[in-house]
Amino acid sequence: MRLLIVEDDAPLASGLRRILEAEGHAVDVTSRGEDAVSAASSERFDLVILDIGLPQMDGFEVLRRFRAASSGRGAPMQVLVLTARDAVDDRVRGLDLGADDYMVKPFAMPELTARVRALLRRSQAHGGPRIVHGPLALDTVARRAFLRNEPLELAAREWAVLEVLLAKVEKIVSKEAIIQAVAGWGDDLSPNAIEVYVSRLRAKLEPAGIRIRTVRGFGYMLEEFKG
Amino acid sequence: MARSLRAHLLRLLLPPIAALLAVGAVVAYYPSIEPATEAYDQALFDIGIALGAHVRVGDLEGKQGYAFELPSAVEQVLRTDRYDTIYYRILSPAGFHIAGETELPVHEGASGPYDAVFKGQRVHVVSVRSPCGPATCLVLVAETSVKRSRLMREILLSSLLPQMLLAAATLVIVWFGVKRGLGPLESLSEEIKERSPRDLRPIDAAAAPEETRPLLVALNGLLEQVAEASRNQQRFLANAAHQLRTPLAGLQAHTELALSQPASDAVRAQLEQVRQATIRTARLANQLLALARAEPGARRDPARVNLKSVVEAEADAWVHQALARDVDLGFELEGAPVEGDAFLLREALANLVHNAIEYSSRGGRVTVRTGARNGHAFAEVEDDGPGIPPAERARVLERFYRVPGTSGTGSGLGLAIVREIASGHGAGIELGEGAGARGCRVAITFPRG
Repeated sequence: MRLLIVEDDAPLASGLRRILEAEGHAVDVTSRGEDAVSAASSERFDLVILDIGLPQMDGFEVLRRFRAASSGRGAPMQVLVLTARDAVDDRVRGLDLGADDYMVKPFAMPELTARVRALLRRSQAHGGPRIVHGPLALDTVARRAFLRNEPLELAAREWAVLEVLLAKVEKIVSKEAIIQAVAGWGDDLSPNAIEVYVSRLRAKLEPAGIRIRTVRGFGYMLEEFKG
Repeated sequence: MARSLRAHLLRLLLPPIAALLAVGAVVAYYPSIEPATEAYDQALFDIGIALGAHVRVGDLEGKQGYAFELPSAVEQVLRTDRYDTIYYRILSPAGFHIAGETELPVHEGASGPYDAVFKGQRVHVVSVRSPCGPATCLVLVAETSVKRSRLMREILLSSLLPQMLLAAATLVIVWFGVKRGLGPLESLSEEIKERSPRDLRPIDAAAAPEETRPLLVALNGLLEQVAEASRNQQRFLANAAHQLRTPLAGLQAHTELALSQPASDAVRAQLEQVRQATIRTARLANQLLALARAEPGARRDPARVNLKSVVEAEADAWVHQALARDVDLGFELEGAPVEGDAFLLREALANLVHNAIEYSSRGGRVTVRTGARNGHAFAEVEDDGPGIPPAERARVLERFYRVPGTSGTGSGLGLAIVREIASGHGAGIELGEGAGARGCRVAITFPRG
């Protein structure tokens, strides 16, 4: 994957670069927002790690220009915003401007790499007809699921719940969010019904090592597949 | 020293009012005294004419001779005055005494009535020219001033009394009028009194009375300075946060990078120490910034915040922290709307959750709750860890205090921050035991919304 790091703090930028290169990505680094905008307009990056506190053109402005220039063709460029500021408004503003994820400095590298993986996965899943999660593959066009290359029978609502969880691997998803995503089906869904679908999904997926964790009183999280 | 504006105003008003009173009395007195005394003079004049009519002129050895006999009717008039004594004197055209009181003084050239002293009394004298043959005799009629003085007193009194009443009324009106007039000032002071210390908006001078404007302008100037200082502090904190966190992020990145590379066990152990120290430093920096943010000067305008939403927004990060320590983090969330600063509330809850996870053993359970009890919104975090002994509960809220013998790498700032933020929101903190008298439960209860 092709990554761009926009960070004016040289030690941090070089550290991030080496960590992400170790993950097997091709990484470019720039310290100026203007350069990032021009680089993104001429080349294609799968993901940009963007610091908000840049000199001159700040990260919000860079993000705004990224989104204004996005052509809409192909998978959208994912943007992970980094900030050292802690104002809640910053996060809201970043997400409003189209950031895909948000991290406050300092952060643990495993968390960063996990988020980067999740974003890249999302970028691949987006627009593509095929979602892959370890041994699980979903053909969203034909609406067919495969586990270890074997066809997997999923009821319509099981499919819907699984799609919601797959869109946010390693992120907790509230029951309300699942109900909302599945509510297009017309009738009322109780949280208990969601529990039933999740337990059915577990029964089908856990033998293959795919785990759905329960977050007590909140919802679920599809764990990253660890093989 | 407190000076009463009313007393001051009265002190200022009293001398001019007294002066006006005096002038008013004089102005009212003279116009009314004149017609009254003229009537008395006219009576004396009439007596003079009557007396003059009774002077008889005779020829005596080629010289004029004069005789006068007091007619009983006139004598009657002279005697019937109850208050005053009336004297008279008649002089011949040559100025010789004809009749009456010889001592009654004559003022030559006096055109009208005049005052004189006679028999040690003040008298009012009227002179009448009365025809005596070809010439004229001079008839003086004098009257003591008892009636006149009385009249003057009465007139003076009758004109002064309303004036004094008017003055008294004026003072009373001033006394209460000032209170009423200062009403807007009082409501202004009420408005200022009821303001939140965080509300540094200028006071609306348009609605205030004209006279208080200079005061308001000065006050607004001061408010603006305080607000500016507060904005400076917030800017400083934002910059300090950035300047501290970015190098720490770099340090953490390189330490973890070094740890991912082949190295001897000794080097790895040292790198791990560096990594732990970095994490602690980062956390400490965050806490100090949060503490500074919670200071009254740095606070921002309160907004409507639902604690449930605050927790939901952080739940993902907290769950990952908990999973890293094999702790089961759960939620029991009901709506809990409060007035406050979302950032600080998040910081307070993050500290409680962090503590609970930090002090839980592997496999422990931590529960975050939000909701309302008896109309009070609350948020609480409960764990099943070692808990806080009752004797230590008051002290753990102090800055940098740590319960003796506790493990972990805390700075002792977490609960102090929670306390600071809670008190800034008018909320109370309650430390207790978790379910089944195990572990620790910290609840923040907010004032009724």
